[in-house]
Formats: sequence, structure tokens, C-alpha cells
Amino acid sequence: MSSFTATQNHMPPSDQLTGFLRSSWIIAQFELIRLFGTARGLLTLFTFAVIWYFMLTNLVMTAANFIEQNASTRMSTMMFNSSGFGQLLAWPIAEFSAYWRIALYLFPVFAVLFAADQTASDRDRGGLRFLTTRCSRDSIFLGRFIGQTIIVSFLVVGTLLTTLAVALYAHPAESWPMSFYCTLLIATNLLAVLMPYTAMMALLSASVRSPILAIILAVLLWTIVLWSVTALSEYYPAFDFVKYIIPGIQISDLTQLQPADTLSLIHIPLLQTAVLLIIGRFVMAKGAI
Amino acid sequence: MSLIQCKSLVKQYVDKTVLHGLSFELETGSPIALVGPNGAGKTTLFSILCGYIRPTQGEVTIFGEKPGSSALFNRVSALPQDAQLDPRFSIQRQLMLFAQLQGFSKKQSKLEAERVLSLMQLSDSLKQKPAALSHGMRKRVAIAQALIGNPDLVLLDEPTAGLDPVNARNIRDIVHELAGETTFIISSHNLAELEQLCGTVLHLNDGHLQQQVDLTNSDGAEPQLAFLTVHMDKCSPDEFVNTVKTLNGVSAVTPSQKNHFVIDYNPINAPLLDQQLLRCIDENQWDYRQLIKGKTLEEQLFSN
Repeated sequence: MSSFTATQNHMPPSDQLTGFLRSSWIIAQFELIRLFGTARGLLTLFTFAVIWYFMLTNLVMTAANFIEQNASTRMSTMMFNSSGFGQLLAWPIAEFSAYWRIALYLFPVFAVLFAADQTASDRDRGGLRFLTTRCSRDSIFLGRFIGQTIIVSFLVVGTLLTTLAVALYAHPAESWPMSFYCTLLIATNLLAVLMPYTAMMALLSASVRSPILAIILAVLLWTIVLWSVTALSEYYPAFDFVKYIIPGIQISDLTQLQPADTLSLIHIPLLQTAVLLIIGRFVMAKGAI
Repeated sequence: MSLIQCKSLVKQYVDKTVLHGLSFELETGSPIALVGPNGAGKTTLFSILCGYIRPTQGEVTIFGEKPGSSALFNRVSALPQDAQLDPRFSIQRQLMLFAQLQGFSKKQSKLEAERVLSLMQLSDSLKQKPAALSHGMRKRVAIAQALIGNPDLVLLDEPTAGLDPVNARNIRDIVHELAGETTFIISSHNLAELEQLCGTVLHLNDGHLQQQVDLTNSDGAEPQLAFLTVHMDKCSPDEFVNTVKTLNGVSAVTPSQKNHFVIDYNPINAPLLDQQLLRCIDENQWDYRQLIKGKTLEEQLFSN
């Protein structure tokens, strides 16, 4: 037998869907290795941990103290309500209240930064060419999105667990069940809120050859679309529904809801994610690599 | 078996048409060469065949499937020109990923990565990252990835460009050895190399298919006319031409490059002209380097 014979004969997965899902999962796993198994990825994680440490101690804990100290007085409650921060007092534990408000506005930025390079660098380097003779572009697109979604979820869960630890430490006796409830509720909400941002970066990353350009495009497009849609709905209220194409459009509404009601808006980011992924899939399929 | 069918293939960019209605059909078997000057459209054709870009017009099928189709995964692989591996991962890790995507288990993929790297004599580079390798080594790694899983068709875009002679020869040996089970399509400017390896040559020029030459069919000449190509050493060109012209059956002797001559002759009148020519060289105390039956590929493609 020739010395060039393959190590072992193998059969490609006969079922196309199985093959597609298998390839997507292999690609997703490779994204996880990129973050958790390379020096550069670990450095990124370490940097994020340091930033989060300072945010937790200086923002979340300070804000939690402030909320706790002012929650009991009627004057403070009126002040919170009049400034639009009334629902901060609705959360049973101040640490989660502070985390919720901070994470809603900050984590989209992290999601954009972390998910910016889903396919852009590989396209520039020609690396996608090694992959597309082995799996479909759809597999690559979906696999990278799944990988980044898991990474963003890891960041959310990690930061939430540190917040949970702080909350349990601050309120050791009374709030264990409530803390876990808040953790679960916020985690579910945040994962949904962040998915369209990851999908948006999947789409933009499929359109360009540089992650920096993808981030610049995200900022510009998000700003321009928000401005345009706001102007359009102001002059033509019938077009108000168009604003729902913008990732994060529901965030300000979320901050005004009672904790138990926050999941009532979860369909918005999920639909946005689906739409962005479908558009991104076509961009990925049509473009030269 | 039909390998590739191209019908009226056109690739147009905003300001330039790169391929002008290419039509050809190729069968599986011995390696196929794709030649042509820079800008002829070779890499564009490769990119279309690999599914990297789509043609503006026309149809192309590989094994009856459209390029990029899932039916071609594991059957077609390529050495893309200028594509680079991910700088963050070791060579082994990346080749394992490719093998896993082709259906290998994790354990099998490790063995397969080792196998293809050993083919390229790069076993020592298994754990290294691309940045630690020279240009030539990176090129060989890129060729190694194309051999994962023994595909039916391998497209190699300038596989020996930038390689030292020893490694270029190693690549040629591997192509030659694998040619029985895998069909190779090789784009190169090295005509001598292609002549050694390939059975069919596609000659592209300015996006047009200039000619399709079958090298296995002697030199493609009509039966009444055959050719010998001789590379002489230390010999007066005029004296050589005048002397060889007098040999029975010779109709013309044409100098091509320095000390190279193409001899046109009638094989019916002079079936053993090669032996006559060697005797003539011996009698005149000339020296020769090479005698080729037929024309060189370069002569076939670019003479007249």
C-alpha cells in the first residue's frame, strides 16, 4: 500500500443537516479555543477581568451602597422616580439592581468588541479558503456566531457570579433564593439583549476584511440608523415600528420594567438576531473570499 | 470520468473582464497543467473552481457538482495562492481542525496531520506556529493541508513558487506518486516542471483559452511530421543546422533558444532519425545534453 494512503478511511457524514451541524459545532469550538486556549485570548480575558474588577468595586458596589442607603426614605424614592431610576428600587437586592442597569448599557459594547472579528481577519488572510473546501460558508458563519455567543455568555455569567458573590457576602442570611432568582433572570435577559449585537457583528464582519473596520461600521451604522429611524418616526408615526430593527432599542424600556416583567420584551432581540443572521448569511454566501 | 466542465465562463469585475467565455472539459487521470502569463486569469479560474468567487456568466461543474457544493467536501481541496494560516495556532492544531471538518475524529485528525506533514518533510514543525516558519515551509504546510484525506481532486496554485530546488522536487515526487489516485490541477510558470508531471495542458492568455494540449498524445503533430528537440553543448549552431538538414527525412532544423534545435522530419521516411542524429553528433565530435522526442512544452505553446 502506498505510503500516502490516508491514516484511516472515513466516510463524510451522509446526512447533510448532521454534517452542517457537526461542522458548525467544530468551528464554534475552535472559537472557544481561540479565547481560552491561546496566549492572546487569555490575555484578553485577563484584561477583561481586571476591568471588571474595577467596575465591580467602583461602580456596582458603590451604586449598590447608594441605592441601599437611599431606598428607605420617601424623599429618595421620589427623587429616584422623578429621575427615571425608579425601577432601581424594584430589584430586591441592590447589587443586582446596580449590575442590571450598568450591564444593560455596557455589555453591548463588550459584545461588539469581542465579536468584531468573526470572519474579517480570516477573509483578509485567505484563511477562509482553507475552510470552504471542507464545510459550507453557512457552517462557518453560524459556527463563529455560536462560538462568540458562548464567549459573550461566559462574560455575562462570570460577571454575574462575581456580583452574586458580593451580594451573598453583603446579605449572608436572607437573600440566597432571591439572589439566585435575580442571577437567573438577569442572565437570561442579558444573553437575549446581547445576541443581536453579536449577530450584527457577524453580519458586519462578513462584509469587511478588518475587525477594526467592522467596529467602526457598527458605531456609524448604529448611530445613523438610530438617528434616521427616530427622525422618520417623528415625522411619520406610522413608521414607528421601524425602530425595532435597531439592536438595543428595547433597553430603555427594560430599565423601566419590574424585574418579573423584564422577560416580556425578550422577543425583540431574538427576532432582531434572526433577521441579522439571515441577512449576514446571504452576505457571507455571496461575497468573495 | 468527467472532472471539470466549463461552459462559456465569464468573470467580470467593475472595470475589467478577466475571463472571456472559457469553455473546456477535463477528465480525471494524469495531472493537468494550467499555464499562461501573469494576468492571464489562472488564479481567477482557480478561485472559481474552488468556489471562492462566482463567475459572472457561464456554468462550471466539478464531478457534476457546482463549486463549493457540499457534495465536493472531502473530494476537492486546494492550495490557494497567498492564503495564510491563522498565526495564533500551531500547525498541528490547524491541520487537525481541517481534518475534523473532513470527518476525521479528533484522534484520527492528529494522525492525519502528522501524516501529511511528514509527506512534506515537516514533522519537526508540528508544534510550531506559522510565524516561526520560513516562506517555503509555510507553502509546504499549505500543500500538506490540501492532501488531508486523500481528495479526488487537488488544485495547486503555483505550488513550487518560492521553494528551494530540493523541496520543489519533493513536491513533484509527491504529485507523481499520488497521481494514480488523485487528479492534480497545477498552475505554474515552470514549464519544464509541468512537462514532467502533466498529461494535459490548458494554456490561458488574456482570459481566453489559447489551447488545450494533450502531452500524452506524443507531440500532437500529424503523422506525416514528427519532431526531435535537441539541446547541444559546445557546437556551432550554423554547422549543426547545415549538417543535420542533410540527414534523410529531415525537412527543417530550427534554432529555438541558446543551443536548442527543433528538427522537423518525416517519421515514415526516417523512423530511426534519433539514432541517425546521435551517430551524426558522434561523427562530428559534438557534445549534446538532451535529446527529446517531440517538442518541449514551451515550444508547443509558444512557437509560431
